[in-house]
Amino acid sequence: MTALTPIVEGRDLTRVFPMPAGDVTALGHVSIRIEPGEHVAITGPSGCGKSTLLHLLGCVDQPSGGTLLFEGREVGALSESDRSRIRLTRIGFVFQRFFLLPMLTAWENVELPQAEAGVPKSERRSRTRELLDYVGLTGRIDHRPSQLSGGEMQRVAIARALANRPPLLLADEPTGELDETTGEQIADLFDRVHADGTAIVVVTHNPVVAARAQRRLTMKSGSVVGG
Amino acid sequence: MSAWSLAWRTVAHNPARACLAIGGVAVIGALLFNMLLLSQGLLLSFRDLLDTAGYDVRVLANEGSPIHRAPLPGAPSLADEIARLPQVRRVALIRSDTALATAPGREANAASVTLIGSSEHEIGGAWELVKGSPLPSSSAPGEPAPLVVSTKLAQLQQLQPGSLLRLRVALGGAASVLPSLDCRVVGIGNFTFEAADDYTVATTMAGFAAAHGTPEGKDEADLIMVASAPEVRPEVVAKAIAALRPDLRVYSNAQVVEQFNSRAFSYFRQISVVLSTITLAFAFLLVATLLTMSVNQRLGEVAALRALGFPRRRIAANLLCESALLVGVGGLAALPLGGILAVILDRILRAMPGVPERLHFFVFEMNTLLLHVALLAATGFLASLYPIWLAARLPIAATLRREIVS
Repeated sequence: MTALTPIVEGRDLTRVFPMPAGDVTALGHVSIRIEPGEHVAITGPSGCGKSTLLHLLGCVDQPSGGTLLFEGREVGALSESDRSRIRLTRIGFVFQRFFLLPMLTAWENVELPQAEAGVPKSERRSRTRELLDYVGLTGRIDHRPSQLSGGEMQRVAIARALANRPPLLLADEPTGELDETTGEQIADLFDRVHADGTAIVVVTHNPVVAARAQRRLTMKSGSVVGG
Repeated sequence: MSAWSLAWRTVAHNPARACLAIGGVAVIGALLFNMLLLSQGLLLSFRDLLDTAGYDVRVLANEGSPIHRAPLPGAPSLADEIARLPQVRRVALIRSDTALATAPGREANAASVTLIGSSEHEIGGAWELVKGSPLPSSSAPGEPAPLVVSTKLAQLQQLQPGSLLRLRVALGGAASVLPSLDCRVVGIGNFTFEAADDYTVATTMAGFAAAHGTPEGKDEADLIMVASAPEVRPEVVAKAIAALRPDLRVYSNAQVVEQFNSRAFSYFRQISVVLSTITLAFAFLLVATLLTMSVNQRLGEVAALRALGFPRRRIAANLLCESALLVGVGGLAALPLGGILAVILDRILRAMPGVPERLHFFVFEMNTLLLHVALLAATGFLASLYPIWLAARLPIAATLRREIVS
């Protein structure tokens, strides 16, 4: 990969969902490039295709048309296990509803993707400690999600997303379940992550979070209309 | 974190669901274990019972029904012929009938007994002497016929070695016109083939004949039992006797068991197979339902794990381990539960009329345990297939979207 290669690039992406009442085009002919270290916010009304675009960029969904390149490799040509490997090691995901495993502690939730990626135990231990310290949860390592606040859970989720040092962090409405103050703390954390060199694409309705991004894309009816 | 470890944490995180699943599998597994014990138990116990008699070949008349064979005529000379075969160690003539046994002064306790006449003083393991002496090899003329009575009869009629017992043979179930015969108890023993509702009395062939009003004796026997010489297989002995007397029916113990297996026992086996299949179907439905419910409750989690890069095989492995844990722990709990149930059921079945008390319906065998484990493991595996398919084929993006909207 050269410095000019974007982390992820979508060319003329479309995503059509077949429905009983007829096909629904969630995304129509969208082209997008995310450069290393970039911080991009995608905004727009509900149902405009923001999350659909994010899922395509994160290789969790396949476009109905167009080409998606991840670090120069065409995603459509990759096997399911190759795409899983990319998601595990090259992309971090943060969800609106956190989706932490409820039976695991904060520590174990952060350690889990590293174990899956085959990171040696000693390295995992130091990385997990470092990440939980990074998100300000050193005192909560043995707490289960049910014992954490919404903001704390999202910080664990961010630590988990960063566990395998991905160059790209994707966040889908990361402050959607949080109050304003906590949302700002999460936005601050994203700023730090970005400052440390990780590219971030955040889908959000929150103007405060969107305002922190270097580039803002506005979507409407499945198309990028601004940015 | 291994799939086992994650599965354990998942199971432990939902104790109510886990208890339901483990409890259900334990109960179903106990029934399955019982059915498996039953499917072979009676056969194993029957074989064991035959072997304890110390004779491994049986010679019967060809005439009569399979249950009531006609007596063998010329039995003593036939026994001598058989005894001369080099493959034979010893031979016993057996006669049996029913009689009414009355101890003098205890007429109220008169009991119907199975009377056995034997040419041997002690028929191997057919009875085990616990008191007194074995049947004498010969009796002086005019002496009362010697008897070995079962401990149950001894208790009922308060008999001791030396006690007198009056026998009146019953003929064909009709009122007997035969005179009573005064006999003397020489020993008390436990009879291997005695049923719960039966009393057994053994005497010499002369005593048996005397009880039938023919003191000079008849040259008949209901059965000739043959013990093979050491190092000689019973089937070889059976073949040699059959060659000697092709007009008779000759069976080794294994052949008797085989006949029992293919005829009477096949009903037990069929019932056992049907009930085992039903219990396995219940186990399958229980585990499949609980795992499917569990997956449905965790669709968001599963989709998130997939989005985070966990491959399908890892999700499948987690669910497989979860199923194995539920079925494994339930299956382990099923063993003591099944054991207790088997003891209770065995006691009930052995109390049936005509069933030897030492015959067991439920017999533990290592193969049965291995079959139980294999069947439960296969059921657990099959039960996890649908939830695994559900989780592994989950559309990640659509599920995440649905979870957020809901």
